[in-house]
Amino acid sequence: MTKGVGTIAAVVLFFGSLGLAQVPGDKQPSVTMAPVGNVQVRASASTSVEMDFRVGSEFHINSHHPKADYLIPTVLKLNPPAQLTVADLKYPAGEEMAFAFSPNEKLSVYSGDFTINAVLKAPANAAAGSYPVKGELRFQACDHSACYPPRSIPVQFQVTVVKK
Amino acid sequence: MKRNALVFVVLVGAIIGMLAAGKYLDRARKHGPLKMVGDVKGVQAPDFDLATLDGRRVKLSDFRGKAVLLNFWATWCPPCKIEMPWFVDLQKQYGKDGLVVLGVAMDDTEPPKIAEFAQEMGVNYQVLLGTDQISDDYGNVQYLPTTFYVDRNGIIVDKAAGLFSREEIENDIKKILASSHNPGAAQTSRAAVVRAPAPTTKDAQ
Repeated sequence: MTKGVGTIAAVVLFFGSLGLAQVPGDKQPSVTMAPVGNVQVRASASTSVEMDFRVGSEFHINSHHPKADYLIPTVLKLNPPAQLTVADLKYPAGEEMAFAFSPNEKLSVYSGDFTINAVLKAPANAAAGSYPVKGELRFQACDHSACYPPRSIPVQFQVTVVKK
Repeated sequence: MKRNALVFVVLVGAIIGMLAAGKYLDRARKHGPLKMVGDVKGVQAPDFDLATLDGRRVKLSDFRGKAVLLNFWATWCPPCKIEMPWFVDLQKQYGKDGLVVLGVAMDDTEPPKIAEFAQEMGVNYQVLLGTDQISDDYGNVQYLPTTFYVDRNGIIVDKAAGLFSREEIENDIKKILASSHNPGAAQTSRAAVVRAPAPTTKDAQ
């Protein structure tokens, strides 16, 4: 009998802890970046690099073009080595969403998965080799009723320059 | 037989408990965050010495005898923007009864930009420039808006993390206005808090 009651108690505790782990405001917002595959670029040419990010469930972050000046946009900063330059950064359009805290004002946000595309260029005199591109993604996250201070996550991937 | 009956009763009890917890959490998700009271309720509000937008210094202890609504906010926080006109109205309505609204701006922005934002919002209450110290003292305030309701003796009566309705805010204001100023009681509470560990956001839940 003791064994049966113990099993039931364990099941109750397990499900109870699942519920309690989801108290609103208890979770910290997260944005993660998926690893970037092999990137190769020829000297005097350019290549496109897709960076995939994921916003933690229950959160959203402002898009690159939020709807008001007072909102902090999502911004990617890349610091390439001398052998590469960033020719362009393409951000996805934000999803227009209304929230409980602003039912009459739609905000432009990213939630779930989104991709930023960077166009990297290698000059004609770029030396062949593998180079790290480092940077950071700055964002400001909110949930359904409150917001968190802006944060940054590191961004890094490797680019191989090959001769023409 | 007796054993089966006991297992049945425990099982039914567990299912009812889980359903009740699920309903409660679902309601909390739909209507906003849970109020974080717990450890901070009844605690002496930590004193602070912060700069105002016009360069003056303000201490919480300057307002002993008043009921203080201490609101942590930021210019980049849309839910904070929703509350601000309510605080303006409530300051007008209850100011004569002893309510003092203090807005603590947790921006990294330059003070003139905060002042411009506050002016656009028609803010009629004092805006103070937040620091890491005050954030730490009040339990590492990261979730904005967060509001502390401090009674006339400097005791935290309630804490609300996230956006709440105007009605809920007004109810909390009535609670702190209902307190009577008792300097002796405040001294006792302050002494007690010195020995207590600083409250944290998690503790408060």
